[in-house]
Amino acid sequence: MLSRLVFVTASGLKSSGPLGAGLVHASRSLHTSSQSLAPVPPLPEKGGKVRHGIFPEELFQLLYPKTGVTGPYMLGTGLLVYLLSKEIYVINHETFTAAAIGAVLIYGVKKFGPSVAAFADKLNEEKVAKAQEVKDVAMTNLTQAIENEKKEQWRVEGRGMLFDAKRNNVAMLLETNYRERLQMVTNEVKKRLDYQVALQNLHRQMEKEHMVNWVEKSVVSSITPQQEKESIAKCIADLKALAKTTQAKAAV
Amino acid sequence: MAGRRVALKAIDWVAFAERVPPNQKGMFNALKTRTDAISAKLASLPETPAAIDWSYYRKAVAAPGMVDEFEKKFKALKVPEPADTQTAAINTQESEANQSATVYVEASKTRIAQYEKELDKFKNMIPFDQMTIEDLNDVFPETKLDKVKHPYWPHKPITEL
Repeated sequence: MLSRLVFVTASGLKSSGPLGAGLVHASRSLHTSSQSLAPVPPLPEKGGKVRHGIFPEELFQLLYPKTGVTGPYMLGTGLLVYLLSKEIYVINHETFTAAAIGAVLIYGVKKFGPSVAAFADKLNEEKVAKAQEVKDVAMTNLTQAIENEKKEQWRVEGRGMLFDAKRNNVAMLLETNYRERLQMVTNEVKKRLDYQVALQNLHRQMEKEHMVNWVEKSVVSSITPQQEKESIAKCIADLKALAKTTQAKAAV
Repeated sequence: MAGRRVALKAIDWVAFAERVPPNQKGMFNALKTRTDAISAKLASLPETPAAIDWSYYRKAVAAPGMVDEFEKKFKALKVPEPADTQTAAINTQESEANQSATVYVEASKTRIAQYEKELDKFKNMIPFDQMTIEDLNDVFPETKLDKVKHPYWPHKPITEL
């Protein structure tokens, strides 16, 4: 890790001394120049490229112009042979221990590395998804609330219609009342005139009836008993003649 | 006896119904039924009542001058128009309603501004995978761990894990 830091500083950034903490903190405290990136740029997706798991690619690129493709390998082999032959590195029991542990470690990482990484990523994703969901829900709620407020404002604009309706009602009621009054006046006058006419008619009728009765009574009273006897005798004679004619007719 | 006809404002009941909020629909329906009843009653009455046939009565009624007197008085009579007591009350109601409406609209606008501000905050937020914990605490203050109240990890009661 620190080797990469060395190469990064070698390509031009000012450094205020390496920190022992994490790489992120180190890059933060390197912002002594006037430009500072906010928000922090996203962390790179993958770590720096390495060959054989430990040797950074920058070493190979550094040596490529001078020594070609096999340069770093020769360097490595030469270093290893030097260390062994000069007994700067002594082979003892711990060498085999280290080799065994190294083998197991490498096997473990190669086999289980990806699944563990996926699991860790999943945990992180869940956290991020939860936060994202909170954010989305909040945003939809806010937009909905804004829409509702706008709708309510639109509704309020229609308040004039209510009062127009009320005033219309009042005007209609007044008009109805006025017409009813006119109607009532006309009807009353008509009733009175009709009453006069009816009264006159009644008067005339009563006079007629009375006259007729009076004439009848006087006629009846003027019939004397002698006239009555004469008229009855005449009636009987007429009846006899009639009977004779009808008997004659029937016989024929 | 001229029939007074105040111009009735045409009301678009469909548009009116759209603007009524759901919790006031009952009142609106009551108003509509009342209005319909009143306008039906108005339509059933003729504008001027049937004229009286004076010549017939002049011939029919024997009393001289009575018919003429009636006619004269009838023509001279002016039916008073009913007094309008409610329009003033309605107008005051309307002005009150306008005032409360402006107040409500103002409050609504401030609410909208507040919502828009929060919406902008959410829109301009950096994406979650570029945030640090400090950024998260800035945007959602409720995620900030109280290190004074709970000095030991996990800085919140275990029940809230």
